[in-house]
Amino acid sequence: MSPLRAEGAAFGEALRAEWTKLRTVPSTGWLLCTMIALTAGASTLATAVVKCPASCGEDTTKLSLTGILLGQAAVAVLAVLVMSGEYSSGMIRTTLAAVPRRATALAAKAVNLTGVVLAAGATATATSLVAARYILPGNGFTGARGSEALLLSAGPTLRAAGGSVLYLALIGLLSLGLATVLRDSGASIAAALGLLYIVPVLTGLGTLDPRWEHRLQEWGPMTAGLSIQATRDLKALPIGPWPGLGVLAGWAAAALLIGGLVLRLRDA
Amino acid sequence: MSTGTITPYRSGQRPGRDDFPHLLRAEWTKFRTVRGWVIAMVAAALLTALAVVALAGFSSGSQNAGAHPRVAIGPGGEAVTDDFYFVRQSLDGNGSITARVASLDTVLPMPAGAPPHIAVPWAKAGIIITASTKPGSAYAAVLATPGHGVRMQYDYTHDLAGLPGPVSAASPRWLRLTRSGDIITGYDSADGKHWTEIGTARLAGLPSTVRAGLFVASPRLLVPNNSLTCRGASCSVGTPSQSFARNSADTPVNTEATAAFDHVSLRGQRKANGAGEVGTAWRGGQIGFPTGIPFICAPGRSCPGPPAGGFKTSGGTFTVAGSGDIAPYVTGVDPLGAILKGSLAGLLAVIALGALFMTAEYRRGLIRTTFAASPRRGRVLAAKAIVIGLVTFAAGLAGAAVALPVAEDKLRSGGWASSVYPAWSLTSAPGLQIVVGTAGLLAVAAILALSAGAVLRRSAGAIAAVVVLLIVPLILGFILPQGPADWLLRLTPAAAFGLQQGTPHYSQVTSVCEPINGCFPLPPWEGFAVLCGWAAVALGIAVFLLRRRDA
Repeated sequence: MSPLRAEGAAFGEALRAEWTKLRTVPSTGWLLCTMIALTAGASTLATAVVKCPASCGEDTTKLSLTGILLGQAAVAVLAVLVMSGEYSSGMIRTTLAAVPRRATALAAKAVNLTGVVLAAGATATATSLVAARYILPGNGFTGARGSEALLLSAGPTLRAAGGSVLYLALIGLLSLGLATVLRDSGASIAAALGLLYIVPVLTGLGTLDPRWEHRLQEWGPMTAGLSIQATRDLKALPIGPWPGLGVLAGWAAAALLIGGLVLRLRDA
Repeated sequence: MSTGTITPYRSGQRPGRDDFPHLLRAEWTKFRTVRGWVIAMVAAALLTALAVVALAGFSSGSQNAGAHPRVAIGPGGEAVTDDFYFVRQSLDGNGSITARVASLDTVLPMPAGAPPHIAVPWAKAGIIITASTKPGSAYAAVLATPGHGVRMQYDYTHDLAGLPGPVSAASPRWLRLTRSGDIITGYDSADGKHWTEIGTARLAGLPSTVRAGLFVASPRLLVPNNSLTCRGASCSVGTPSQSFARNSADTPVNTEATAAFDHVSLRGQRKANGAGEVGTAWRGGQIGFPTGIPFICAPGRSCPGPPAGGFKTSGGTFTVAGSGDIAPYVTGVDPLGAILKGSLAGLLAVIALGALFMTAEYRRGLIRTTFAASPRRGRVLAAKAIVIGLVTFAAGLAGAAVALPVAEDKLRSGGWASSVYPAWSLTSAPGLQIVVGTAGLLAVAAILALSAGAVLRRSAGAIAAVVVLLIVPLILGFILPQGPADWLLRLTPAAAFGLQQGTPHYSQVTSVCEPINGCFPLPPWEGFAVLCGWAAVALGIAVFLLRRRDA
């Protein structure tokens, strides 16, 4: 009798195998560093150029987290590569031979990806907020003239910061699901970035029928998900912070579900 | 054992030709024979056309106050503002009018008390010959402005510069217009003796009897929220630098200009007409109507109407006050430019194709064959860039040329006034700019992606980098305050989206050019040059790395 269990590897072992793969591919480190640099860099630049006498009504928390807009692209690339990288090198056949339960293999990838994105996202978000904490008072955001001083311990700020980290993780899961369906890295990243970036361009121009504009903002993964960053005028938002993040979670769940289904049905 | 000479092996094939046309043909064959790529390129053209048309269907003008502003229609069919205080006589046949502008002041009208001074660079005081007092009539005028010197303007869109500098008692401006048939010539002078011709205007079909006289106009200022500050007897307006412009719309504020004219002379035959404008009597009145989107007054607040204007004479000096403007009407929204952003769907597809055209060779190892067959790597990259650029240009041209007329038709039936949002034909200059510009934007973006693919050798990274460079600045342009947003849209390749602007902007009309209104800081083709610059630099880096690295 072979000592191998017929059931295939247990989830813990699949997790460890995926962790080894993720850890030993050079692109993982590069992409996570790029994500942190893009997020913190763009956030710091954005806070540095907004001054209070001109734009006192600014939502300082949201402004300090502007860089997530760019950082999410690196997360999407990482997530796409986790799956489509295996298809381009043929590694996927080895993976699925070792872990024949395909849902388990996908889940192991998703858990590992979420882990590293959460850790890097927390670093990026914290760096952005701390930088903003030092820059904003010098730009006139002291609490006077209707401006809002950035308080790192305030409830809404913590919600926005924690929510942004979750947002990045959900973007990763959405992209992973897309890549599982499409398999090709080029097609997957184009689809993921198109889904994220086209909606805010269309709704920003203000010529769409207001009903359609509202609907797009409510259902677009990026516009809905980023409402988690808002701390002012919550009533004016097309969708509330947590429901918005929920919409993005729905997108990620749907992509993973379809991805898992397709992975089961198709040959690798 | 004999050690005879061994003839080295020679292939029976003739050596391959690696001249550039063959290289181009090789790359074209590579593109053409991958069925997925051809399908994706056709899909990019279809996606562009479908997305633009679909967006036109979702852009309802009936919900948008900016879709049908009150405008007059000028001689060329364009929307114009034609609203000014006019002190006039009828002039029959050829003649001329001369006047000296001795002073020009602009104020912010107040319900009570002395009105404070406010700077209005494009306030106008001068002399005009116009076909009639009907708004939108053909005209030619020579005028002084506080901020842009003396100008000769005619038929709304034409603007020629005369003497520079503002008007003051120490340096008055002499202005003269002469009519000879359809030709009107404008002159200015600093002393009334030495005259300089500014230019001539041909006003086709000018009737034999025209109105000639003095006019004063002062356009509305667009004031960002809470940025109007008054100190003593003068007020100033902050620069439009609000972020999240949606929450803080600019408020139009009426202004009024007062000018003193003397040495007024009208030469030529006066004629009485049915409207009672008889003989040599000057007759004054506000012409036209307030143009644009009507003020929406908060309930319970009195809404200030435009200043009434007026004129009085004493001892040969005419003091004329007026508001309004004689200029092309510039809209605050650009529905055509907005719906053309539907081309982003096609753009994503061609960026992916451009990157894959390079990275697929690395993945499959074909790159080694390619470089073995043609060792001069720079030329290989050039051939690839030409092939992907031309194919993308053709696809983009087809997509945009089909989309533009259909989308314009949909916009018009969706409630957008055709006078303000002109339906450009495919052969008109703006129509060509939109169609050829969109195709060029797609083509150069594909070349940028090709170069990124050669540098990074990974499709996902290359595609994401180009998408972030091209599309994210558009989103940041809506979020950041205007100053940084403008710089972002000048420096990043996103500047090229200015090619898709549907409404023209005129230097002689102060309009707020905000990214949120679809207005780009650089002129369209300069913006395209920025994208080309990025692509050229990326190609250079790619050639450098291709030569240095092993394949």
